[in-house]
Amino acid sequence: MSMTRIVIVMLLFFYAEGTIFYWLLPDAWTSRLVPHFALAFALYAALYKNRYAALFLGFGFGLLQDIVFYNNILGVHAFAGAAVGYLTGLLMERRRSTLLMALVVVGFATYVYDTIVFFIYQVFRLNHMAYDWALINHILPSLFLQFGFALLMYIPARRWFEWSGAKKSEDEEE
Amino acid sequence: MRNRRIIVLMIVVVLFVAVMGFSIGERKKLTWPENFIMDASGAVQQWFYKPAGYIAGFFEDLANLRGIYEENEELRKTAAAYARDKSKFNLMEEKIEQLQKALDFTKRQEKMNDYEYMIAHVIAVSNDPYNQTIRIDLGSKDGIKLNMVVVTTEGLVGLVNRVDPLYSNVMPLTELDEKSPDTKLIAATVLGHEKDAFGIIDGYNPETGMLSMSRISESYRPVKGDTIITSGLVNVFPQGMVIGTVESAQVGDFGLTYTATIKPAADFEHLTEVLVVKVPDIEELAQ
Repeated sequence: MSMTRIVIVMLLFFYAEGTIFYWLLPDAWTSRLVPHFALAFALYAALYKNRYAALFLGFGFGLLQDIVFYNNILGVHAFAGAAVGYLTGLLMERRRSTLLMALVVVGFATYVYDTIVFFIYQVFRLNHMAYDWALINHILPSLFLQFGFALLMYIPARRWFEWSGAKKSEDEEE
Repeated sequence: MRNRRIIVLMIVVVLFVAVMGFSIGERKKLTWPENFIMDASGAVQQWFYKPAGYIAGFFEDLANLRGIYEENEELRKTAAAYARDKSKFNLMEEKIEQLQKALDFTKRQEKMNDYEYMIAHVIAVSNDPYNQTIRIDLGSKDGIKLNMVVVTTEGLVGLVNRVDPLYSNVMPLTELDEKSPDTKLIAATVLGHEKDAFGIIDGYNPETGMLSMSRISESYRPVKGDTIITSGLVNVFPQGMVIGTVESAQVGDFGLTYTATIKPAADFEHLTEVLVVKVPDIEELAQ
């Protein structure tokens, strides 16, 4: 699967976040389960491709989210996505992670991402929640959702990113 | 090598902070890349949101089937009351028109309260807890402007916060925050006491799900169950949009004013259609 196709799949998941997925949630859960589907793909790119792919995917889809749902501020998700993608790639790209390792990394990186976003909003005085309340209210529940999604997407995402890398190196050899 | 990396990192961080700082607050016009991305995304989201809403609505209808008889009876009662009120209202309206003519009202004064309601469909919702946004399928080409009020049949939902040519982003009332740098305040009053109760809706508490209203003038102390509506004192804002009902009222910080907690009337979840209220343009009418 080429990178373009992966981006198209990610776009579909991104647009499903605010529409189809939103309708799947009952009223009481909408503000508690926040999807990060595009971020999960960016993290898989960090694990199974390289850190630069993760950087660009994290930045691109973060920026897309910032602009499409622009209300207060631009650039928060772009910054957090790029930072988390790049750092994950820096730490993990040399190893071939197993399923369990991948899930732990995706979960932890998503938690870091949420925390970065929380504190950026805090710094710009747009957010006045207490951190421990936010943790219980939406960060941890969203983390469970992210685990579920990462588990579901592990096989296809790993295959796509490894193939897209393998194909490139073959081309280079030729 | 190491130094170069740190310098690049610092430049990137500074750039991001600059962009973030620049993007806070009211912007009359967005740049074309922003407009392009918003419009293109809106076109895609539109195709997802509506069918999902219909399917979910169908299952909800099935679940609600039992309550439908009671609802029907209730509706019949309100319809009867409505018919009664309507004849009364027509008579009053005629009389007001006559009086306005007798008092030589200018055209501008007469048209001031003719609000136009535009139906908008919701195309996507962001449930990011720090940045809740509702996207609707009307934009500047349809005459949407910044700070227009968005309502449902139940009550006030929010304000139009960002406008692009085909779609716009609505900031729901749940994003109101007195302490944030780009906040918007809503002038409000109590239904039935418009003359002596005046206050400002200035915040939403996500932990309790209540709005807070402060600086209510001391001439009227709100009681539980009072309906809060927007006051038309600022004339860019329509008058009489229902905001919510009072849950409790306290004496304010300095003992001179009252504060109240208000339960929002509108449901912010799973909206499909909203109404954008267009207040007649005063400058246009003056010409």
